[in-house]
Amino acid sequence: MSQPILELKGVHTSYGVIEVLKGISIKVEPKQIVTVIGANGAGKTTTLMTISGCVPIQKGEILFNGQPIHRTPAHQILKMGLAQSPEGRKIFPRLTVKENLEMGAFTRNDKAGIQQDIEKAYHLFPILKDRQKQLGGTLSGGEQQMLAIARALMSRPKMLLLDEPSLGLAPMIILKIFDAIQELNREGMSVLLVEQNARLALKIAHWGYVLETGTVTMSAAAQELLHDPRVQAAYLGE
Amino acid sequence: MDLCLFAEFSFQSLSQYVLNGLLMGALFALIALGYTLVYGIIELVNFAHGDVFMLGCVLTYFLCMFAPEYPTSLIFIPLLLLIVPICCSLLNITINYLVYRPLRKAPRLVPLVSALGVSFVLINVGQMAIGTSPKSIQAQLLPSETNQSSANRETENATRSNEASEELTRPRRSWLTWADILLIGTVIPAMTGLALLVKFTKIGKAMRATAQNPIAARLMGINVEFVIALTFALGGIFAGLAAVVFTLKITTIDYLMGYKNGLYAFTAAVVGGVGSIPGAVLGGILIGLIYSLGAVYIGGAWVDACIFGTLIILLVFRPSGILGTRVREKV
Ligand SMILES: Nc1ncnc2c1ncn2[C@@H]1O[C@H](COP(=O)(O)OP(=O)(O)O)[C@@H](O)[C@H]1O
Ligand SMILES: [Mg+2]
Repeated sequence: MSQPILELKGVHTSYGVIEVLKGISIKVEPKQIVTVIGANGAGKTTTLMTISGCVPIQKGEILFNGQPIHRTPAHQILKMGLAQSPEGRKIFPRLTVKENLEMGAFTRNDKAGIQQDIEKAYHLFPILKDRQKQLGGTLSGGEQQMLAIARALMSRPKMLLLDEPSLGLAPMIILKIFDAIQELNREGMSVLLVEQNARLALKIAHWGYVLETGTVTMSAAAQELLHDPRVQAAYLGE
Repeated sequence: MDLCLFAEFSFQSLSQYVLNGLLMGALFALIALGYTLVYGIIELVNFAHGDVFMLGCVLTYFLCMFAPEYPTSLIFIPLLLLIVPICCSLLNITINYLVYRPLRKAPRLVPLVSALGVSFVLINVGQMAIGTSPKSIQAQLLPSETNQSSANRETENATRSNEASEELTRPRRSWLTWADILLIGTVIPAMTGLALLVKFTKIGKAMRATAQNPIAARLMGINVEFVIALTFALGGIFAGLAAVVFTLKITTIDYLMGYKNGLYAFTAAVVGGVGSIPGAVLGGILIGLIYSLGAVYIGGAWVDACIFGTLIILLVFRPSGILGTRVREKV
């Protein structure tokens, strides 16, 4: 098998004295969608923030394309090709849609390429083109989510971390966003998708992990998890 | 008191006081920018900022001892405007690096109290440097004024004593002193430069983005610590520019001037809407006008009451200041 694009080996993360991740191991193969499902407070956001270098790791290793990144500052991790669309979108509210996209390309200097990628983002989410001169803070929740994903893509990442892209959105919008995620994946993007909406996530993912209070309790092909009675009882409401 | 009010009220003197207020306001605004920039990025009220300004004045005072005779001294002024801001900027960067940076993850009260501590340390440094009594610069750097009793001096005096009315009614000729022209020639380019930097450059956009959402900024590949250091550097530059102009205009300095002027400037930042750059400018000018007009028409002893009264009234009706955004978007 090929080398995983992202690998977490026994990662521990704490906030002060409270240990939130208790030694989790996760692997993402290139060009796959891997999902981490789990209840609210399980540590999903902390996992992504630890990977992105925004929260310091306590113990363990994180490898991106075989290179250790767990001691690398956040801004360099992005440069290496690992981008994140964070929980709650975190759009820059007083920058326009276009400026938000430009901020996504902060580490790049190729003006023409950036312009091209902005057009690509508008192609992926046409509504953003109509809104390009509007301030980020005035967008609807769905539009903000689209902008957050588009913004993350502006650094031309090799891999995308997505934190709860469905949160608080209408079913129609969620479908649009998940279609876009699948389309990106078909074009070769590796994705680590964190979701409370387990059914949706498992439907588009190749592999899935179940996270319970900072520990990985299950790891299997997404289809398998979808039909696992324990998963169904705990996360699929069946 | 009433009599004296009538005596003073002439259009000519009013316009002079308004002008004076605008000039002092521009100085307050310059200092206020240091508060507002830092607050905008890390939500810290940097109480030490006024004392960085004070040390800038102290440095200017010492450098003026080496000033050549007028008119060669005119070359010396740009040198002051270069050296002092650079030193204030380095001082600010050092304070950030040694004190605030290690406390970045601590509860908000911790850096705030540390800022007070730094303020006291800087005040002590100033006291060691120039002693406790006010000092005046002896060198003449600018051309002498045709009219010695410039209105600036008068407002200053008026704020110090209530018995300045005699001096205030004396006729005057010059509207702007050379120091005022220096002030205008410093403040306008400095503020224009900042506005252009923040609005149009990549690093300026990174500053705005960091202020709006620091976590998202990190996820965009922005080196947030660098942006913070740059913000302190800019604040230091503005404090240094203000220090040079202030010292040459007022000519008297003391080790506690950072406390008082810092408080005015901080009030200006809050009145304008802390975190907002145009707000700091607007707030500075407003405070400057109250400072100048209040001293003359109400009485020097009441200036502080007027300034802080305005602050309170304004905050009751507009808690976020004139141009402040209401609540920071926080998830
Ligand atoms: N900044 C923080 N400081 C302290 N505790 C936190 C912080 N962020 C999250 N936590 C705690 O860590 C645990 C995991 O949170 P999180 O990673 O956000 O979970 P999830 O994304 O799965 O809902 C929760 O118990 C939460 O209260
Ligand atoms: Mg979460």
